[in-house]
Amino acid sequence: MAERGIGRRPEHLAAVPGPEPQPDAGTLLAAVARGDEKAFDRLYELVAPRVYGLIRRVLRDPAQAEEVAQEVLVEVWRSAARFDPAQGSATAWVFTIAHRRAVDRVRSEQAAADRTLKAGAAAIDTPFDEVADEVAVRLERRQVRHCLDGLTELQRQVVTLAYYHGHSYPQVAELLGAPLPTVKTRMRDGLIRLRDCLTTGAVA
Amino acid sequence: MSDQVHTLVGPYVLDAVDDLERAAFERHLRDCEACRAEVGELREAGARLADGAWSVPPPRLRESVRAEIRNTRQLGPPARVRAARRRWPVVAAAAAVLLAAGTGTAVYQVQDQRVRDERAAAVAARASEARVRAILTAPDLVVREEPLNSGGRVTVATSRLNDAGVIMLAAGAAPAGGRVYQLWTIRSGQDPASAGALGVGQSATVRIVEGLPGSSAVGVSVERAPSSVTPTTPLEALVKLT
Repeated sequence: MAERGIGRRPEHLAAVPGPEPQPDAGTLLAAVARGDEKAFDRLYELVAPRVYGLIRRVLRDPAQAEEVAQEVLVEVWRSAARFDPAQGSATAWVFTIAHRRAVDRVRSEQAAADRTLKAGAAAIDTPFDEVADEVAVRLERRQVRHCLDGLTELQRQVVTLAYYHGHSYPQVAELLGAPLPTVKTRMRDGLIRLRDCLTTGAVA
Repeated sequence: MSDQVHTLVGPYVLDAVDDLERAAFERHLRDCEACRAEVGELREAGARLADGAWSVPPPRLRESVRAEIRNTRQLGPPARVRAARRRWPVVAAAAAVLLAAGTGTAVYQVQDQRVRDERAAAVAARASEARVRAILTAPDLVVREEPLNSGGRVTVATSRLNDAGVIMLAAGAAPAGGRVYQLWTIRSGQDPASAGALGVGQSATVRIVEGLPGSSAVGVSVERAPSSVTPTTPLEALVKLT
């Protein structure tokens, strides 16, 4: 055993024995940072549907969403070592990258005016409730929906128009006919209320 | 300025800011531990919104990703200072490309006043995205902003590492009567040097200025079209860089 050395711990000692353990995203991401492709596969299982779903919701184009999701997932592999657990959870890190890429794509691909027009149409065609409505199977989704319902109407609109539609806050202000400072404030207090709801809701 | 910038915390967490605002906010975060904590918590909450967008990707996505990671080298743990130094040759190359493209391409017409900030940011991102990003993501970035007397604002971001800066003008309206906005860089003991004028009817621009950190201030004035050799009217805004 000794000749295996410290650096190369045998597989059977590294894993918890018994029924298939469910490692969290943080543990998996740490393994991915060390080049572990199996860990990457499991992380993929865990986050890919939300990465793809989120990008698809923002871009509203399945083909482009697939392309951007691929970029994001490869980026997760590439920069896993840059994840700092002190700064937040691994899933938040992954979804932050995904959301940012989706928004970048939206902003670089389309002329702003064109987008604003489309956005106006989308805002009319798509009730904001649809955001959480189409999926109500998983607990997390129910919880997010529940917590979104707990926001004021304006808080919910500014948060969902920015997050799910990829609009900048001046665009959100224009779509809602609300003053810029109000939109900025509602985004912040909407997120604060969401945070409070999600953290207490996790216990309930 | 700090308090003013911090009002962007919600939009920042939701990725609802433009590149300059993001750079300004991240600069602000570096100096404010409480703000970093707030961003961390709100980001956790914001990222949970992804739970509401669950959608099974096509099976081929997994295969494509698997294939690509086999050919993708992973980054090591962060080493910020060295990374910044290594960027130098790339930045120089980008600057050369930009100069070769000619100064005329650096000013962009923005007609839609209502989305002027976004449009200017989007146009800049397309035209010289790599250079702008290199500057705006520099570890030594300094962002300053002043209101224009006539409404709107001018934002100046400088990086000594890049020996360059980005000036973003987002005025409330274009000057009337055949007059235009003109940008100036000011060095102590010298006459203001023109950093370019906007066209008639233009109220926004994003401009990369090489050597900007060597200047002591950036000024904005209203001049007769097409441009003036020296400011002939009181400055609409003065952004001090030192």
